[in-house]
Amino acid sequence: MNCEIFRDSIGSYVDETLEEDRRLWFRTHLRECPTCREEALREEPSLLFAMAPASQSEPEAVEACVAAVMGRIRQDRLKRRLLQRRRPWFAAAAAAIIAIGGGLTWRSVIGGGSGTQESVVASAKGSELQRSPPTVEVEMAGEEVRVYQFANDEDSDTAVYFIVDPALEL
Amino acid sequence: MVKENLCVQIAGLGSRDEVVMNDLQWIQSAKNGDEDAYAELVRRHSGGLHRTVARILADDTEAWDVVQMAFLKAWQKLDRYNPRFSFTTWLYRIGTNLAIDLLRSRTSRERAHKAGTEHRLRLVGSGEGAGARADSTEATNVLQQLVEVLTPQQRSAFVLREMEGLETAEVAEVLGCSATTVRNHIFQARKALRRELKARFPEYLPASERG
Repeated sequence: MNCEIFRDSIGSYVDETLEEDRRLWFRTHLRECPTCREEALREEPSLLFAMAPASQSEPEAVEACVAAVMGRIRQDRLKRRLLQRRRPWFAAAAAAIIAIGGGLTWRSVIGGGSGTQESVVASAKGSELQRSPPTVEVEMAGEEVRVYQFANDEDSDTAVYFIVDPALEL
Repeated sequence: MVKENLCVQIAGLGSRDEVVMNDLQWIQSAKNGDEDAYAELVRRHSGGLHRTVARILADDTEAWDVVQMAFLKAWQKLDRYNPRFSFTTWLYRIGTNLAIDLLRSRTSRERAHKAGTEHRLRLVGSGEGAGARADSTEATNVLQQLVEVLTPQQRSAFVLREMEGLETAEVAEVLGCSATTVRNHIFQARKALRRELKARFPEYLPASERG
């Protein structure tokens, strides 16, 4: 009886006119009844794909996916937090750089035309200046924030600031 | 959302409604910043989404990348999720759109290569008959033809409707089109597949049809 109903339903299944709840029954019968499957494929070869099973993914692959997704989410969260905390320090660092840059420019202007040449020469000698070890100064500048200042002994006008949040250290 | 293949089977849960309820609870917790709750959602749905995307792309490995991207995108847009709709539908919409974008970005040569070398279409069946023969490397070739003859939209609609067993309305929601458009995609896909199967893979047909 089921087989008879199934065979009568092939056309309406293919035409997309079979009721949704009957479709599930149709697909189940297609998988389970070899005789009807043969008949159905003769009538409509593309029904071959309706027999694709609900294969389960490997648990290891799923767990690897979970780890990858959550790792990216945590990484993005840390980046956002770091960026938010850095913002005021970036502003301070930018102000310091502008002040230093302004000072250098002022000195070169005050020192006359040769001042510019001197700064160019100084830049050319940059590699020589880097040979000497930098001075490292550490200070606690606010809650959970350490500021490392590297300055060259022979160049008191240049300073580089590194801001590290101990809470974000891996 | 799902009638058969997409239904999430959770141990200890008796019905689909309970699963959906739990999804909503996890989503609410995730919205409040609970990352463990979101990890649970990823654990529940990544397998099913992967199977669907792998069938659309014909590439198991690339499908995992798309699944990860889909979950990241869903996390970023979690505030916009409307609980009136199934989380699965929403998630599958994101994943399917990413897969379609990827298919469109590939050259036909890349598609054929990937389909021919990496994917294995798993079909059920035992004993005599075409269904029994389908679970073989030949099925890979059939899928390769799928990639060649179907548009990304047709392919997605066919996979969701015919292979994953979604209702027409659900497929329409996932693909963001009307039910009529879905039926048209299915009709065109079936027509193309019927032609290709008869022309290139007569061994999948019953003996009386092979000629």
